[in-house]
Amino acid sequence: MKFGALLKKELSQLLNKQAIISMVATLFIFIFMGTVMNGTMNKLHEDEEDSTWSEETGGSISLVNCDKGEFVKEMFEEMKKNNTTVEVLSEENDMAAWQRIMDEKELKTLAVIPEDFSEKAEKGEEPSIKVVTSVTGTGLSNMIKDNTGSVSAVDAITQYLSDKKLEEKGITKEELEKLNDNVSLVEFTSANGKIAEVPSSAVSGLVMSMSMIMPFAVFFLLMMASSMIMSAISTEKIDKTLETLLSAPVSRIHVLGAKVLAAIITALLNAVVMMIGFGFYINGASGGTISSAVTATMSNSGVDVTEAVKIADGIAALGLNLSGSTIALIFLELFITLAIGLCISLILGALASDAQSLQTLLMPVMFLVMIPFFVSIFMDMNSMNIVGKVIMFIIPFTHAYTAAGNIIFGHTGMLVGGLIYQLFFLAAVMYAAVKVFTTDLLFTMKLPESKAAAKKTK
Amino acid sequence: MSVLSAEGLTKSYKKGINAAENITFSVEKGEIFALIGPNGAGKTTTIRMIATLLTPTEGDAVISGHSVVKEPEKAREHITYLPDEAGAYKSMKGIDYLNFMAGLYAKTSAEQSEYVKRAVDMCGLGERLEERINGYSRGMIRKLLLSRAVMSRPDLAILDEATSGLDVLNALDIRKTIKRLAREEGMSFLLSSHNMLEIEFLSDRVGIMSEGKLLLTGTIEDLKSKFGARNLEEVFEKAVSGEVSL
Repeated sequence: MKFGALLKKELSQLLNKQAIISMVATLFIFIFMGTVMNGTMNKLHEDEEDSTWSEETGGSISLVNCDKGEFVKEMFEEMKKNNTTVEVLSEENDMAAWQRIMDEKELKTLAVIPEDFSEKAEKGEEPSIKVVTSVTGTGLSNMIKDNTGSVSAVDAITQYLSDKKLEEKGITKEELEKLNDNVSLVEFTSANGKIAEVPSSAVSGLVMSMSMIMPFAVFFLLMMASSMIMSAISTEKIDKTLETLLSAPVSRIHVLGAKVLAAIITALLNAVVMMIGFGFYINGASGGTISSAVTATMSNSGVDVTEAVKIADGIAALGLNLSGSTIALIFLELFITLAIGLCISLILGALASDAQSLQTLLMPVMFLVMIPFFVSIFMDMNSMNIVGKVIMFIIPFTHAYTAAGNIIFGHTGMLVGGLIYQLFFLAAVMYAAVKVFTTDLLFTMKLPESKAAAKKTK
Repeated sequence: MSVLSAEGLTKSYKKGINAAENITFSVEKGEIFALIGPNGAGKTTTIRMIATLLTPTEGDAVISGHSVVKEPEKAREHITYLPDEAGAYKSMKGIDYLNFMAGLYAKTSAEQSEYVKRAVDMCGLGERLEERINGYSRGMIRKLLLSRAVMSRPDLAILDEATSGLDVLNALDIRKTIKRLAREEGMSFLLSSHNMLEIEFLSDRVGIMSEGKLLLTGTIEDLKSKFGARNLEEVFEKAVSGEVSL
């Protein structure tokens, strides 16, 4: 009953209105970012599909033609015969005129045939096409070229010149196609000492997404839980409520347990919300492919996305999939890491005497959590030199970031070594935390005063 | 019958400092006992040892038959402690705070409700109890905490600077309440204060502390006559300055 009351009090303090609003806001920000990314990616795909011209069916192209030469006239005639409508927007060799056309027609891209195009082509030299691209903003969507007639014009002209050269060399299109058909590309990927028929880009994309999601969750969970438990302990000291609480007929271990459990519950809740939001974001950024592939790999349930299932099969063949027991191992790793973070934070929280010292004490924990996070994002710990490896190994939080990668790629030594090290580390910090909380240290321990502060106090 | 019996309580720190040294005194049922002394005399250290927050380096204190060293949890069932400048959980409403604290002392929910009702009647905060504590004045918080300290009718209520932050009328009201609880309900109080007038008004006996030692104990009248003093302030001055041999 008393533990329940303590837990309820801790939860009500951690899960207050502000915390819930911030959680919901974070979720919406991620969903919004994912939706924006998804929209941009879809636009990219749509633009690829919405080309106004193709070699097989023809279509329409539009451009500025500054060349009065015969070669260009003949080229346009040939194109028309092949069902291509050529719209010449202007014949002026003047940049101001080109700008005017782009503004009037709201074009992002404009193709211009320069006045020496025919001359160079007739001499057998390589003619050039000028392409003007408008940059109007900083967003990703502003960097995407639109598929107006001008982009199609470049494709059509390139194709025409290529056909012309083949014709001169006496090679027909059919012969070229036949030649191309004789060479088909089947992609295999080698990983984990095995080879499977799966594109490497798909495998690395999937592994990347998994090795990013896991560290992100660990990073967020550790940051949240550590700062919450530190603040829960130090606030009691700063607001002078701790003495009243600990002189009540409750066990100190119960008080400590309620604080730790409330911090874990709140941090997990935050992490779940963040993961849902991050999932939306990743899904948006990948156009939905990665999340489908992850789902298919994790559940092996045959998601209705052919490409995703193919990737899942390939990953399974390479032994890169996560089974139930490996997922359990990752969660164990995560739990041990979280417990270490909480114990360290408990000790540091007991040292804080005011809000300023709390910030100071939070810094080392943040660094220890952040350094391995960023390192794990940008490089593989197993490929580091021995000094780097030792430094990273000593930081107890590293092992949670690298757990998924170590399991997937079979680095059993690092995985088991890390787990054993963490268990010893946890035993040490847990002993220290219990010692601090159940003895006079909770009230007598404080940060060493600087000489200036000590002088001032005197 | 002694509610509190402290025998040779000593608290030493690593640097060889004795914050409290060989403190021996007792508090009887229904008695109001006050520890007085200058800053750094060891009053708060002594009180913290009795409240089971600090472990004595030597000696022991027995509260209602339970040793603070051997059975701190049992001992805590018989005491409440109100530290000087104590705060309350700012994000809670006053009534929720009382409910939470009552839950820690009560054995049944009926007992918990009874404690809360008693505290509500005693604190005089009325409808303000439905507001969050972060909007309370220092005096309001003190009244809330004082009512919390006595709501469970502990054998011994330890109050450090009981009326600090309260205005004259509220302080007077609290003093009367303390006296009434001791006389009518048999509650014992261990007080610590710098306010000599308050101590003189409230206490049955006082203990004068200086430099970690309990110099002497006695009723105010006995001490006044022993030191030839007109009031407690003069007793305190003479005892601490060493003008009169103890």
